[in-house]
This record gives sequence, C-alpha cells and structure tokens, in this order.
Amino acid sequence: MDTILLWPILLPLLGGLLVLSIPKQVRFWKEAITITVTALNLWLVVSLFDKNLYYFWSWLSFGKIEFALRLYHFSSFIVIAAAGFAFLICLYSLSFMQYRNHLRQFYAYLLWSLALANGAVLADNLLVLLFFLEGLLITSFGFIAIGSKDGIRTAIKAFIILGITDICLMTGIIITGYLAGTLTISAIHLPINGLAGLAFLLMMIGAIAKGGSMPFHSWIPDAAIDAPLPFMAYIPAALEKLLGIYLLARICLDMFQLTAGSWASITLMTIGAITIILAVMMALIQKDYKRLLSYHAISQVGYMILGVGTALPVGIIGGLFHMINHAMYKSCLFLTGGAVEKQAGTTDLEKLGGIGRKMPITFGAFIIAAMAISGVPPLNGFFSKELVYDGALKSGAIFYLAAVAGSFFTAASFLKLGHAAFLGKLSEENKNVKEAGPAMLVPMIVIAAGCILFGVYNALPLKHLIQPILDQKLLQGENFWGWPSSAMLVMVTCAVLIGALINHFYGVRNEGSGLKAVDHIHYAPGLKEIYARAEKRYFDPYDIGLKLAGYLAHITWGVDKAVDWIYEKAAVTVSFVAGRKARELFKGYYANSLSWALLGFLAVALYLMVSLNG
Amino acid sequence: MCTEAIMLSIIFVPLVGSFLLPLIGRVSVRLRNYVAFGLVLATFLLAASLIPMARAGHNVTFSRQLVFGFSSIFNADGLAVFMASVASFISLLIVLYSFGYIDHYEHQSEYYFMVVFFLGAMMGLVMASNLLVLYVFWELTAIASWRLIGFFRDKHQVMRADKAFLMTFFGAVVMLIGFIVVYQQTGSFDLATIKANLNGGTLSNLAVFLILFGILSKSATLPFHTWLPDAGVAPSPVTALLHAAILVKIGVYVFARLFVVTFPIEQIWHTVVPIIAAVSAIVAAGAALIETDIKRIIAYSTISQIGFIFFGLSTGNMVGVAGGLLYILAHGLSKAGLFLCAGIVEQNTKIKDITRLGGLIKTMPFTAIAFLACAVSVMGIPPFSGFFAKYMVFAGGIQAGQIGISMFFMVGAFMTILYLLRVFNKVFMGEPGESADSEGSPVMVFTVVAFAVLSLISGILIHYPAQFVQTVLSQLPGVK
Repeated sequence: MDTILLWPILLPLLGGLLVLSIPKQVRFWKEAITITVTALNLWLVVSLFDKNLYYFWSWLSFGKIEFALRLYHFSSFIVIAAAGFAFLICLYSLSFMQYRNHLRQFYAYLLWSLALANGAVLADNLLVLLFFLEGLLITSFGFIAIGSKDGIRTAIKAFIILGITDICLMTGIIITGYLAGTLTISAIHLPINGLAGLAFLLMMIGAIAKGGSMPFHSWIPDAAIDAPLPFMAYIPAALEKLLGIYLLARICLDMFQLTAGSWASITLMTIGAITIILAVMMALIQKDYKRLLSYHAISQVGYMILGVGTALPVGIIGGLFHMINHAMYKSCLFLTGGAVEKQAGTTDLEKLGGIGRKMPITFGAFIIAAMAISGVPPLNGFFSKELVYDGALKSGAIFYLAAVAGSFFTAASFLKLGHAAFLGKLSEENKNVKEAGPAMLVPMIVIAAGCILFGVYNALPLKHLIQPILDQKLLQGENFWGWPSSAMLVMVTCAVLIGALINHFYGVRNEGSGLKAVDHIHYAPGLKEIYARAEKRYFDPYDIGLKLAGYLAHITWGVDKAVDWIYEKAAVTVSFVAGRKARELFKGYYANSLSWALLGFLAVALYLMVSLNG
Repeated sequence: MCTEAIMLSIIFVPLVGSFLLPLIGRVSVRLRNYVAFGLVLATFLLAASLIPMARAGHNVTFSRQLVFGFSSIFNADGLAVFMASVASFISLLIVLYSFGYIDHYEHQSEYYFMVVFFLGAMMGLVMASNLLVLYVFWELTAIASWRLIGFFRDKHQVMRADKAFLMTFFGAVVMLIGFIVVYQQTGSFDLATIKANLNGGTLSNLAVFLILFGILSKSATLPFHTWLPDAGVAPSPVTALLHAAILVKIGVYVFARLFVVTFPIEQIWHTVVPIIAAVSAIVAAGAALIETDIKRIIAYSTISQIGFIFFGLSTGNMVGVAGGLLYILAHGLSKAGLFLCAGIVEQNTKIKDITRLGGLIKTMPFTAIAFLACAVSVMGIPPFSGFFAKYMVFAGGIQAGQIGISMFFMVGAFMTILYLLRVFNKVFMGEPGESADSEGSPVMVFTVVAFAVLSLISGILIHYPAQFVQTVLSQLPGVK
C-alpha cells in the first residue's frame, strides 16, 4: 500500500479548489499556487520514476471494483511527461493569460486536468480509469467555454463527441471486465475474437477519440479558434495524445492480444492511414496559424495509431516514440502560435508576415519544432517516423505510401506556414511587434531543446523509456535506438523532404507569396471541388451524426405521437361511441330493462356454476 | 420508540398530519408552511432512523389478523427503508422550494395538504407487504397526483390531470385483476404467504403480464407514458415531485419489490422487460430531442431514464439491481434539480418554449450552473452519481448476457447527452431571449444548488450509498 500514489491526484485537485476559492480581486496568488503545485507534482513524479508502487482501497463493494493505482515503468513515464507539460504550460500562461477573464477557472481547470490525467494513467482498475478519463470531459468543456464568446458551441461539440465515445469506452470496459472476470487492468489478457472483438472495438473507439483521431476530430480545429491557446498546447496537443495513445497501447499490448495481420490490426492501421492523409490535406489549405496546427494535431495521431496498429515491435515503439515527440513539438508549435497571437494580435496568416526578424527566438523555436514534425534528420520526429515507416512497410505497402505522402504534405504545409508568418514582407501594423517575454520564451526553448535532445541522443528515450515498456520476448533482442537500420527508408524520406522543398519554391515562384505556395494543390482540378465542400463542413462527422440523430428523433417522435393519439383520440372516440350504443339498448321500458338485468344475472350464475364445478 | 411504532409513524404522520394543514392554513399561512415542512422532515428523520436497523439486516413487521386471511400488513426491510429515505429526503427539499414558488398562487392549503398526503401514501405503499394494501395506497397516490397536476384550474390543466388519472387508473385496475390471478394461483394476498405457497415455482405469466400494466403506466413507460409529458402543466415543484421523488418511482419500486426480490418469474420476462425498457428509453429520448417546451423535454428525459432503471432491475443480478437502485437515488436528485431550475426559469420569464429563451446564464448564473451540474449527472459523467448508476446498470445488463439490448441503451445514453445539452444551450447560452429576468428567490436558488451539490457529493462518496444498497440486497432473496 503506497499511499504516496494518491498525491499526484490529490495535490492538483486540492490546488484547483484553492485557486477557485481565492477572491477575484486578489492578484498573483492563483498563479503562484498553480505554478507551485505543478512544480511540486513534477518533482514528486520524477522522484518516483521507475519504482513499482501499488495502492488500493475497496471503492465499491461489488467484488471487482477497487480503487487501484499502479505505478510502473510505462505509467511513470507518462505521468512525468504530463507533469512536464503542465509545468511549462503553466509558466507560459503566466504571461499569456495575463489581463484575461476567467483566470481562476482557467488555472483550476489546468490543475484538475492534470489530476484527472494522473489518475487515468495510474489507474489499475478499468472503472477507475474510466472515472478519471471521462472526468476530463468537464474540464475540457470549461476550458473551451471560457475561451471566447462562441466558445460554448465548440465546448458542446467537444463534449458531445467525447461524451459519446466515452460511453463506447464504458461499454467496452464492461464487456472486457465481464469476459475477463476482473477489472484489474494488469490481470486482463484476452484474445480478440467473438465478443472480445466487440469489446476491443469499443475500447479502441474511446482511446483513439481521446487521441483526436478521425472521425472524432472535428472539435479540435474549432477549439483552436475558440479556446484559450494554452489549452490547445496542453490538452489536444499533449495530454490527450499521451492519454489516448497510452490507453491504446495498454489495450493492444496488455488487455488484448493484438496480432499482426488480424482484422483488428488492419482496422487500426486503416484508421491511422486515413487520418494521416485527410487531416494533413486539410492542414495544407488553412489560412490561420492555430487552425493549421490543429489539423496537424489530428494528422500526427494517425502515425501513432498506424504504428501501434501494426502490432510489430518496431511499429509499436515508433508509435509510442512518436507520441512523446509529437507532444513536444506540437505543444512547442502552439506556444509559438500563442506568442505570435499575443505580440502581433492575430494568427491570421494573411495579416502576418516578416515577423521572424522581430521575434527571432520564437522563430528559432518554430523552425526546430517544424523541422521535427516534418521529420527532418536528426530531430526527434525523424527517428520516430522512420520506425513507423518500417512497421508500416512490413504490414503493407499501401500504409507506407500513405504515411510517406503524409510527410510530404506535412513538410509542405510547414514551409508554407513558416514562410507566410515569419518571412516575407513585414506589414505596416506589425512594425512595432516585439519578442515575447521570458515566461513565454523559456517553455518554448526548453521544449525545442528537448526535440533536439530526443533526436540526436535518441537512445535516452528509446533505450530507457520506451523499449522497457515492451515485453523483452516481443523484442527478441532487437534495439531500436541509433540511426535507422534501413538506408532505403531514409533515402525515400530525404527525397520526399527535398520534393516538398522544391514544391514550395515552385509554388512561391508561381503565386508570388509564401501563403499561396500550395495553391497549385488547393486549386488542382478535382481537389478544388472537394476542398470547397470540406470548407463548408459537408464532411464534418459531427454534423452528419447530429443529422442522423435528428432523423432518428423524428421517427421516434412520430411513434410517441402515434401512441398518444390512441389515448387522446381513439380511446375517447371508442368510449363515446360505446356509450351511445349502450344508451340505445335501454329504451326506457320496464320490460326492456328487466330483460337486461335477467340476462346479466344468468351470466353471473353461469360463471359461478362453471367455476365452482371446475 | 420501538421500530414498529416508527414504521407506522412514517406512514401515518404525513398521511394523517396532512389533513391538519388546511385547518392550520386558516389560522396562519406561515405556520402551515412550517408544519408541512415539519411533517416531511419528521417523515424523513423517522425513515432515516431505520437505516441502522436495515443495515443490520433486521425487518420490522406489523401484522393483524383481518378478513380474507390477511396477516402481515406492513413490513419495512432494507429496500423499503432505502426507498422511503430517498423519497422523503427529495420531497423535503422540494417542499422547501415550494415556499418560494407557490406563494404567488391561490389554493396553497390544498397544495401543501396534497403534497404531504402524497408522501404519506407513498410511504404506505413502500412498506406495504400485502397486495391489497399496496393497491389501496397506490390509488391514494393517484388521487393526490390528480389534484396536484390539476392545481391550476383552467380547463386545459384539468383535462391533463384527468388524462394522467385515467391512464394510471386503467393500469391499476388491470394490475388489480393481476393480483386476483395471483390470489387464485396461491390463495393469498400476503407477499410472504404467496412466496411460501409458490414453493420455489414461478408466478403465472398472466399475472405478471397484468401487473406490468399497472407498473408501466405508473412509471410512465412506453406504451403508457404519454400522460407524463402532459402533466408538465402542473406547478414545477409538483412535476419535480412526480418525476424525482414519488410517482414514477412507484412503478419501479413495485417492480423491484414484486418481481426482483420477492417472486420468481419466468425467464422470458428477463428479456421482455429490458426490450420494453429499451424501446421506451430510445423513443422518449428522441422525443426529447424534438420537443421545444422545457418541461416536456425534461419529462421525456424521465421516461427515458426510467427505461435504464427497469433495465438494471430486470437483470436480477447484484450489480444490475444495485445499479437500478442507485439510479433511483441519482436520478431523483438530479431530475428534481432540473425541474426546479426549469421552474425558476419559467416563473421568472413566463416562457417555457426553449427557442424563445436564451442567455439566461448572465441573469441567473446559479440556476444555470445548477442545471448544468444536474444535467451532467443525468448524462452519467463522473464524478457525479449518475456515472456510477449508469455504469452499474450496463454492467448488470452485460453480466445478464443482454449485449444487444445494451447496445440500444448505449444509443439512448448518446441521445441523453444531446438533448440535455440542447436545452442548456438554448436556455442559458447564446443571445438573450425575449425575457431575461433576475435570479429566483433565495430559497429556490438554495434548493437547486443543493440538488446540484448533492448530485456531486453522492458521486464522490458513492462508496456509502453503494455499500448500503449492497447490504440491503444481499439480505434479500432473489438477487444473485
């Protein structure tokens, strides 16, 4: 019984309550509390690294439901990553969120999200996991809702999408628990067939939806506009990726036996591949800094799902490595976006341009993170993508092609973004833009440095953090750190990157500006029409789903009205008509009434005789 | 005081006391309100005082030899104590709210009289251990609800009250025939005697079928549900009482009492009842998504949620039945909150059409947050108690092998999220509607916030109600 495991949950939880209880007028205290709590939490989880701890308490007295927490290598790694991001983003918010409304709520949600994430990762019981994971619905809702005037619409959208997928997760968890006879995660190990297949599918939906995969993605681009920026860097870019992919990995590796080539594996890889391509194609044509990044947050989760879905060690390691890498470079990118928003007052690429000279450090962090996400060697994204490519190629050329094509468009869209925002001509309004303050720069620099470190010295994450997650038997003595083993794959990657560069220069020469560098793809015949429809949200699965729910509701409403008609009209009419007919039987004569009475008496007598004799 | 006296006073303190209220009302309005509150409080405290006994596994029985071989009349076991405590506690808060709500209207004495009488009848029904006694109290609640729904005396409201009365009365009469069939089969109306005479056999299908008419009509389940949305013409505290504390929970309770913990029924009903419940849950959820009257939407939501409760109870296993009982608790707290919030909105804006409302979070922030919290609990989001109840109901269903039906309930749960957020969005968010007024009176706001907080606390401390429910169920035969 290691009660210390409760602290990563209790500490931020109580911190959040404390922040909320401070009067609005009191300044600095809420910031001070939040930064202290996140720092303490970071220190605590780092000090617990690589220990094996266990805590449990009989929560519900129904046999299998214990409040069980377990710290081991994998969960320890994830809580440290979450704690790191929480601390850095809190630091960043000190400056970014200054002078904004709803600060108490903002910091409380930040801390509570951390508490819930810690609880979900440490959980060793499926109900505990669900409890914390689903609890994030409320903090995300609040986070998005306080962002702007229209925030509530996006908050509701996010709540509905994630709420529905969480119900799928719940059902999956229940079926899993029923089949396994226990809810203790570390004791479950089911083969995927029959009912377990359904359970796997439902749990998988919950996990990939948390990760932000298609078709459960469409709230993320909307949130990029409506929610406060640190939320984007914190929740969709970092925490939800960590949680979603952590859960997916636990499902595929521990709770179910995912085997290469099985239908479950093909399903996952297909979802991953489609997500990569469709989301990156949407990212390509965005004209807003944050919205463009948000589509990449969707696209990149495709690589992780593809990697884990291969069920091959190289793919799984690649997927998990990509998860942590993505959390780093994507939150760094969002933070640079926030710096631009704060300093230049806009994230509209049409109005930006040339601010790289005014904000050199932000620009530098952007370049590193953009190179990392595009997979330029020797940054971290390059190594994780190579591993995913390797796994994908072994599972099917089509998956590999999708992944590589995704890389091409990723590189192309970041060339466009960097060019449009930081290079080119400086507009009149942006003449006085200054570099962001230190509280915002430090997190960016730290994370960008991490991207370099995890790339150049990739043995650190791979050897010490990720490889030990997998069973040694599965690895068969292979090691995945160092330079990628396949020279061919590296060559293809480099060719694709050079292709993206050539494409960019071609576009810039044709159209004359960085912003329009991909217009030849955007307005290519065939694609143009599809893009036009996508921009009008014809393909938003959320809208389609709501429409379907509306149809279903209309049908059931009709059923309801039909039932009511029976009471309102049919029953009333029948009783009126019957009443009238009955009245007609009594004509008012003595003999007539008497004969009816006799008839009735006879009927009763007959019934009594029959029932007494019978 | 001996436990037998406590049990009888739980029933007769409100039942008899209610008759005093109109008299006191002639002397002092304020005193009448206090006495009404005091009677409900006394009922709750008396019911709660039996909890330790129930946890220890003891029963209280009151029996007298009467005609037709009646012997036991009232019996309070854990299930009855649970139900009585929950119902009287929720009623207590609703009466408190009424102080703020009802004082704008006429016939207040009748209102308090009927509310307290209603509660007393419910208590009698909960403790009844004889089918005929049960039937008598069943009809007493029908009379009280008829008067309460028709509280406003327009033709429209009186007709709706008649509709509710006629539909539930129809069900009750069919149920009475069912009781007679039981008598023919077993020769008794006493639950314990019937059980002994059944000798491990099952109740005849005809009896179950007929009794279900009564249960489904009282609990507003398809196809006998349409009176409940129409009953929304009643004052808001009354609808809260009907939906959350007393009326619709009667059917569910009698189902649990007769078919889950007392009589064995044939296997087929363990499939038929969940199917009825699933259809009811989905049809009502769809209707809730279309309707535009705030009280009708919440009423359809109740019909839908009652489906979940039936599903849990009909599984017959520990997790499912416990889930169903916790659902009664969780749903009672949050649904009462929702109705009372709707009452504040309705009273302050004089509008019930959600398409004409909007932006009320600015003028009534407490009501808005309380509404959202209660809605989230009904949706089943942690850490609210609705989450655990929903989880356990599903767990029970799957443990009983009802995978397909669980999928239907999953759709029902999806739609719950949709329609509740729709209401919240339309009423409290967006541009201000036609009439944006101030917050409700302090006592009303206090009550709705209390319901929201209780929904939250009962979730965080789910350990305690869950443990109580489990102790209760493990003492009852019939739950595996």
